[in-house]
Amino acid sequence: MNVLITGASGGLGRAFAIDCAERGYNLLLTDINATGLYTVKQGLLRQYNTCILTKSCDITNDNDVEELMTFAREQDFKLDMLLNVAGIDHEGGFTERSFKQISSILRVNIEATLRITNQALLLRRPNSRFYVVFVSSLASLYPMPLKATYAASKRFLLDFSIALGQELKGQKVSVLSLCPGGLPTTQDALNGIAAQGFWGSVTTNKLEKVAHNTISKVQRNRHVYIPGVLNRSFSIAGKVLPAGFIAKLLYNRWNKAQKQWLVIDKKA
Amino acid sequence: MKTVIITGATSGIGFAVCKEMLGLDYNVIGVGHSKEKIEAAKMQLQNEFLKKVTFFQADLMQQSEVKRLAEELSQHLDEHCEGKLYALINNAGCVRSWYSTTEDGYEQQFALNHLAPFLLTHYMLPYLQKDNGRVLITSSNSHKMMRMHWKDIMYKKGYNPLMVYKQTKLCNMLFAYAINDRFSQSGVMAYGIDPGLVNTDIGLKQTGGLVRLIWSLRKKKGVKPEIPAKTYAWVCSQENTPQGLYYYLCIKKKYSKQVNRENADKLFRISEQLCGIKFGGYI
Repeated sequence: MNVLITGASGGLGRAFAIDCAERGYNLLLTDINATGLYTVKQGLLRQYNTCILTKSCDITNDNDVEELMTFAREQDFKLDMLLNVAGIDHEGGFTERSFKQISSILRVNIEATLRITNQALLLRRPNSRFYVVFVSSLASLYPMPLKATYAASKRFLLDFSIALGQELKGQKVSVLSLCPGGLPTTQDALNGIAAQGFWGSVTTNKLEKVAHNTISKVQRNRHVYIPGVLNRSFSIAGKVLPAGFIAKLLYNRWNKAQKQWLVIDKKA
Repeated sequence: MKTVIITGATSGIGFAVCKEMLGLDYNVIGVGHSKEKIEAAKMQLQNEFLKKVTFFQADLMQQSEVKRLAEELSQHLDEHCEGKLYALINNAGCVRSWYSTTEDGYEQQFALNHLAPFLLTHYMLPYLQKDNGRVLITSSNSHKMMRMHWKDIMYKKGYNPLMVYKQTKLCNMLFAYAINDRFSQSGVMAYGIDPGLVNTDIGLKQTGGLVRLIWSLRKKKGVKPEIPAKTYAWVCSQENTPQGLYYYLCIKKKYSKQVNRENADKLFRISEQLCGIKFGGYI
């Protein structure tokens, strides 16, 4: 099984890489951060005996992606799985962020993700199953004030993946969207979880389990994976309750959490 | 003047050890994670003891940072301390509520509590050997009633914060044991220190849920960090090299039967592999 992971030097990307390496899959890791990529590769090679290729790449750039694909072709690396992990967020209200920041969320989370998916589909191994994972978010299930752009971009991925899965059903392609709550990945994320207090703790998912289950579930042909019983019940609330009401609830919660966050950031 | 390096020196036990060592007229080098805390700690120590204290900044969880720190320390020791190091106090440690990984993809508690002291000691060994130095590691009595989880050393499956913490403290004891096996003939001795239950913030930094709750209750029963700090100072300042492996309140203490040569050698090999180094030394 050959797997391409984008955003592989970040927290979730790393967790996916570790899980795949443990399963004995061959990896092609990519990330914009070349040093981080090298560090991850070294760590993996010290723990597992698998083939690990790395190539740093800015997936918002056409030429870089082209180079990545050429690299894969040269190495004769046919793909069986694509894990779209790369994504960004600039926390804060719409008017508090520059348009550059706002548009970069769209460029990375949506445009770049589709670009690499489009290219990777050309590289799939002929006549065998192909698996695609999009990392959406629990935030994709509701309109989220103060994370409006991010949440909407993740909603795009969720809807897109369901539609794409249907479209490619006949071509032996399975598509899954992962919608996790908070994940304990970076120091920022850990501070964010701490700032949300009780709700942060209970909606936080276990990183290693999320990574493992995602890879199992996409191979069992699932379409959406929301980790955690509580988060799943929230997702039902998202379908039943009026959007305006949910937005109001979430605004109150995030407003408080973000103020708290700043305090923790200063302390740390 | 003898030089000591203390990691995790900006708060809790490490900060108290700094004070104790400055009081005994050692040349103290502290290592901390946050720049602001370093500045605050430096100011407080210099005002209290009217002596120069050097601090270095590093995120010891990341191996690249340990390497960078070691290079900076080496340069400093060569230039200002006659290339000699008398004691390395590996004190920095953490607790995590969830499985989370470092840039190298290693579990964070294991990386900071065990691999960081392992790697830093490796880099500092030549300097320690020149001064018949001592390596102290903040272990804990919680290393007892614990076995090494060899099958899955970083607890990828079934992460339990307390078990992972206990295992890292057992690792500390095994590492001290292995150092003595390999380097006591060349004059370097290693010790595990049991600080007891101490009122510090270890369980409150970047944790959540149950871990945070339990620790915030439990820490109230802990003693002040000044009390365990005396043990560190005692082990460092003894003229005759103390021959025990494990100390609590300046007294030699019994350690777990799991701390044996077989486990120590196995962990040593695995750690060398994970750090990409060869320690050398006799066995």
